Amino acid sequence: MKKLLTALMILGGLTLALLAQVPAPTEGRFGKLGGEFTPLAPPEIASGPVPRLHDGRPDLSGPWVGGGSNNDLEADAGLKPGALDAVLLPWARKLRDSRKEQDEPYLYCTPMSVPRVNPYPWRFVQAYTAHGPTHIFVIHENGDAGANRQIFMDGRPHPEDPLPTWWGHSIGKWEGDTLVIDTVGYNDKFWIDGRGTPHTEQMHTIERWTRINYGTMTNDFTLDDPGAFSRPVQLKFVARAVPPGHELMEFICTENNQYGIAGGITNVYGDKGYGLETPAK
Amino acid sequence: MTTRLAVLGIGLFWVAVPVLAHHSFEVEYDPKKPVDAAGVVSKVEWTNPHMRVYVDVTDEKGVVTTWNLELGSPNSVLRRGWTRADLKVGDRISFKAFGGRKVLTRAVADAITLADGRPFTGASGTPTR
Repeated sequence: MKKLLTALMILGGLTLALLAQVPAPTEGRFGKLGGEFTPLAPPEIASGPVPRLHDGRPDLSGPWVGGGSNNDLEADAGLKPGALDAVLLPWARKLRDSRKEQDEPYLYCTPMSVPRVNPYPWRFVQAYTAHGPTHIFVIHENGDAGANRQIFMDGRPHPEDPLPTWWGHSIGKWEGDTLVIDTVGYNDKFWIDGRGTPHTEQMHTIERWTRINYGTMTNDFTLDDPGAFSRPVQLKFVARAVPPGHELMEFICTENNQYGIAGGITNVYGDKGYGLETPAK
Repeated sequence: MTTRLAVLGIGLFWVAVPVLAHHSFEVEYDPKKPVDAAGVVSKVEWTNPHMRVYVDVTDEKGVVTTWNLELGSPNSVLRRGWTRADLKVGDRISFKAFGGRKVLTRAVADAITLADGRPFTGASGTPTR
């Protein structure tokens, strides 16, 4: 009996861990046509080998969907319930609990930043110059609000006192087939998940991206922010490749953002200038 | 051709990321305010972050109400294989939606049936085109 219970607990745990990585179905969901759709590479393609560049490096270009947190950092990273709360400083927990879903800055077309993802695809661009593979760029179909995320691969250090920005200052290196991205210099204007988990300008992130087959790339993510967390937190996310031949498309968030009008939601960022929405006639 | 599209559709359905739109609908739209109506399309906005379809619905007294229906992103709709030719100004369509909490006629679309009877599956739902 005890063995059976243990087996059931392990099975339950595995199921929960798996569920944390699988997107929720939309069938039966309220407002179905308002949802998003991005196809993923089917299993027979996803299980194929890692493609490589001419220099032997893994080709990380994707495009990908996922690989970070959209709604709930704790659940999306497969942590046990309460694990993040245990290390979130009291002021940060209080602020998070006071935040309302409709006040997320991202809804007003500001950059989602790290480690956020959304339902739209994104890709790494492993760029070359005359000096070699000096830069990697991250471009998102949506979620960067027009800002470029650039990762310096030329060995430079972080600046001593970077002006805080939405995407921070990123330097990268290869450890075998793993791309390691170290970022500091974030501003504190974005939320790091949909629950409104706060961070400070002290936030330091380390992403370790490893493509394990054609369709799958893991992101072993270290979140270190002594301003908001009592200790560094280790998270894990999984990105999925879109089918071959699928490309990013244009997405200009501020084009016609009518967010909040139907619900009578006040733009709490009006004084900051976020959000360009105006009621349609 | 029809068979090939159907097979492709089922394949995409099983591996798609349906997810988590640009925002949650709960705070803006009311699941207790279902709308089921038919009317004439007066405007189609293939815009970001959400596609919008405006429909003029005439009641039994002849009063016309314009409904502003929110869909997913145009990219999601295009990835389903739909084009501008499938949904045009002047088309007579029927729709199911959920009204806005503050402005009822600003609604999130749940289903649209095109003039020729095809279901416009938009951003999510089973692709049947």
